[in-house]
Amino acid sequence: MNDGVLIAKNLFRKKLRAILMIVSILIAFAIFGVLAAFERAFNAGQEVSEDDRLVVVNKINFTQPLPISYFNRIAAVPGVRQVTYANWFGGYYQDPKNFTIVMAVEPATYLDITASDFAYDGAMRERFERTRTGALVGRQLAAKWGWKVGDRIPISSSIFQQKDGSHSWEVEIVGVFDKNKPQVDTNFMLIRWDYFDETRSFGKDTIGWLILKTDSPAINDRVSETIDKMFENSFYETATDTEKAFNKAFMAQLGNVALIVTLVVGAAFVTILMIVGNTMVMAVRERTREIAVLKTLGFSGARVLRLVLGETLLLALIGGGIGIAIAAAITASMRDSLSTFVPNLEVGPGIVLSAVGLMVALGLATGLVPAWNAFRLKIADGMGRG
Amino acid sequence: MLKQIAAVTRINLRSIPQRFWPSLSTVVAVALVVMVLLSFLAMSAGFRQTLASSGAEDVAIALRAGAQAEINSAITRDQVRLLEDAPGIARGPDGKPLVSAELYLIVDGIKRSTGTKANLPLRGIGEAGPALRKGVHVVAGRMFAPGSNEVVVGKSLLAEFSGFGLGRTVKFGTARWTVVGVFEADGSVFESEIWGDLPVVQSLFNRNNTFQTVRMKLDGPGALAALKAYSDHDPRLKLEVKSEKEYFSEQSSQTNDLIQKLGWPLAIAMAFGALAGALNTMYSSVASRAVEIATLRAIGFSGFPAFVGTLAESLVLAGIGGAIGAVATWLVFDGFTASTLGANFAQVVFSFRLTPATIGQGVVLALVVGLVGGLLPAIRAARMPIVKGLQG
Amino acid sequence: MNDSALVRLSGVGKGFVKGRDAISIFEHLDLAIPEGDFVAVMGPSGSGKSTLLNLLGGIDRPDTGAIEIAGTRIDGLSEGRLSRWRAATIGFVFQFYNLMPMLTAAQNVELPLLLTRLGGRERRAHVAAALEVVGLADRAKHYPREMSGGQQQRVAIARAIVSDPKLLLCDEPTGDLDRGSADEILAMLKSLNADLGKTVVMVTHDPAAARYAKRTLHLDKGHFEEKELAA
Repeated sequence: MNDGVLIAKNLFRKKLRAILMIVSILIAFAIFGVLAAFERAFNAGQEVSEDDRLVVVNKINFTQPLPISYFNRIAAVPGVRQVTYANWFGGYYQDPKNFTIVMAVEPATYLDITASDFAYDGAMRERFERTRTGALVGRQLAAKWGWKVGDRIPISSSIFQQKDGSHSWEVEIVGVFDKNKPQVDTNFMLIRWDYFDETRSFGKDTIGWLILKTDSPAINDRVSETIDKMFENSFYETATDTEKAFNKAFMAQLGNVALIVTLVVGAAFVTILMIVGNTMVMAVRERTREIAVLKTLGFSGARVLRLVLGETLLLALIGGGIGIAIAAAITASMRDSLSTFVPNLEVGPGIVLSAVGLMVALGLATGLVPAWNAFRLKIADGMGRG
Repeated sequence: MLKQIAAVTRINLRSIPQRFWPSLSTVVAVALVVMVLLSFLAMSAGFRQTLASSGAEDVAIALRAGAQAEINSAITRDQVRLLEDAPGIARGPDGKPLVSAELYLIVDGIKRSTGTKANLPLRGIGEAGPALRKGVHVVAGRMFAPGSNEVVVGKSLLAEFSGFGLGRTVKFGTARWTVVGVFEADGSVFESEIWGDLPVVQSLFNRNNTFQTVRMKLDGPGALAALKAYSDHDPRLKLEVKSEKEYFSEQSSQTNDLIQKLGWPLAIAMAFGALAGALNTMYSSVASRAVEIATLRAIGFSGFPAFVGTLAESLVLAGIGGAIGAVATWLVFDGFTASTLGANFAQVVFSFRLTPATIGQGVVLALVVGLVGGLLPAIRAARMPIVKGLQG
Repeated sequence: MNDSALVRLSGVGKGFVKGRDAISIFEHLDLAIPEGDFVAVMGPSGSGKSTLLNLLGGIDRPDTGAIEIAGTRIDGLSEGRLSRWRAATIGFVFQFYNLMPMLTAAQNVELPLLLTRLGGRERRAHVAAALEVVGLADRAKHYPREMSGGQQQRVAIARAIVSDPKLLLCDEPTGDLDRGSADEILAMLKSLNADLGKTVVMVTHDPAAARYAKRTLHLDKGHFEEKELAA
């Protein structure tokens, strides 16, 4: 036997009470785990964004177009190492309910600039550059529909139509790519902008946005200014920002997710703090006589204090551990169905770490009052009672 | 028997102060659960209300087939002309059809609360545009003059986003616009929009001859069906025609689903946590009253009053918690405004709405926690052996 | 008074405050107990028997005077030092056994050893030996609720002697037992005194129990009155 056994025996002497406390703690941690995973997934765009990548959009709003001629003009700006462009396609597969992320891109440069995020191999790169109607598909999306290289599939747009009035473009899958970073999802498709632009009925010669890499993050501000100055007072003014700032502003549009998460998790934790704290005060009060006996046997006040704190810590760690495991299971089960809207939903190491921190804090906070009571207990008084 | 129940219940309730802290923890736990549930439901109700009040039954909206939202739609000038001659459309006193072809664009604004860029809808509307919407009236300034680069802004948009005050000049691209009026529209989604004259918006955004939607005032109950048939049978049209009400209720369902799907599971999960607390409190209540209960049993009371008394104590605690939660939510959140991205990829401003029905749901949840949390301890109280209880 | 005394009280005073009145239990108590003694302390209730035991065990402090046990002045020790001293020097036996309900007999006996540096194997050996002494080797895995009162008290005695203390303090050790079990316990205390040389101080109100002691002290109105008994 050691103190650990003593602590565990104390905790589980009233099994129902211990289980009820564990249940309330695990619920709070399950809520924390799931909501934290959502918050992190919402902000994943900021995490994967690279410091030297800038995004150029129309100053009016990023849904407004820019002319294709900006590609060459921006490529010539000093400090711009690489530049590419893309257009939102508004895609779906077969039924408008099957929303699918499709972007029309310039084949060579787009793959270069996003090569740090996704693993495009030489063969698919070469086929994409050679095939006008080619499409590159992320591993997740390909798996969802069972697509293979060589398949010809119709992909529809809810925004654009072809000159013949059809909303559907036929593309040939020339490659299926994986990811290079754990935080990104491969739930999207790339088609060629030149093919898309030539066949669409309106908006010809325009693009949605440009992405560029600077020589170094240090000159980001100067490059942004140069670009925006260059197009000032033209019909298409630009707004250039880092990829990170752009993603952050976009996520902020959904509403204050972080605030909601904080409020709900806060409410859950205040609840269990009260419940567990009170229950532990009661549990320790019931044991007054035993604590007096322990002290008589020579257990010091500090040792008794540690035993009680150990009990609340153990309680928090058991409940919290199970709760986080449940959160991981819940997010794993939702991951695929939500990946189009919230990519990469998971309880990662960062969340687990902060959960453990919370468990320790909760364990100490709930044990504080009962442990202090046990610490101060006078043996003669404790023997008198009960 | 009733007297017995009343007597025991009174003893139970009077003994609550002796267990002040555990009882308080149950009350606070239940209150927080109810607050979480009600704030999500109020958010959902507010959002639904905003979109529901936007759609009129007697206005039809035409979109390109498959577009789903105005932002994705595209309609040509020829199609607009065909629709103006369609059957079932009401006409104004001047004999012109009440039809508004509209262009829906997104421009940047700055959200006051976060200081970040946000997508705001700029709508170019036809002459009949304002009349096609319920309760539109200018509350400050005046309506934009046709042919001018003037805009009017919705009341909600003005409150949530900066830079659109009356008399201010706003710049979209190279064009400058003057804000000449602020309008209300029955608390509908239109209050989160900027309106300008259609031809001016088309030309300053280089979208000549393109439209996104057409709104048409219907002249009677059968008119929508006639209009649909007209569109379906003309190969030049083939548009999706539905009532505006239907269109907005489809739009509200997605976001609304998300809020509800988040709110209820969260509240139920938290309710289980609070339930654990309630059970602990009530078991300790039964344990601490063991001598009283046994004494009453010994002098001839039956077990049933002990059961009812315990259950009543639990229900009272949960009821107080539920009431506190409802009042707190009402104080904090009723009328609280927020905005999020709607189906049109633009911000929709809405207010949290705490309706009596919503509050009812919160109170029911609280009482369920109280009922379940009191049941098992109440059974224990009723079944407690008298001798054991008397020993304390 | 002799210098080889294990326990020495000189001029000990102790009182308590009840409401506005200060009530004195004893004002100037002197006592010496030599090593190897077995003393029964008797007296009417409220005479201060239990307070005396608490003072000897260092779980209560005197208002005045000095208490020296096994060469250590304990009246001035800090709480922490007192705890360590108690663990090493004193074994307690209570009227209501005071075993931990969630621990087995062996684990209950092992408790004081958690305060020593002994390793797991040594601790188990000590526990086995102590249970052997009280005749409960076969009950090691039993929980208190599975044992009779007499057996529980034997476990409590095993717990008291497992760390090999010099002084055993027993507070009405047979107060809750029937005559037969009580005689067993008292015989055991007597043999611990006679065979293992433990010094025993036992508070009791039962004259039959007191007869097992070498001598009996009567505490009344704050003073001792001694009776030697034929051993």
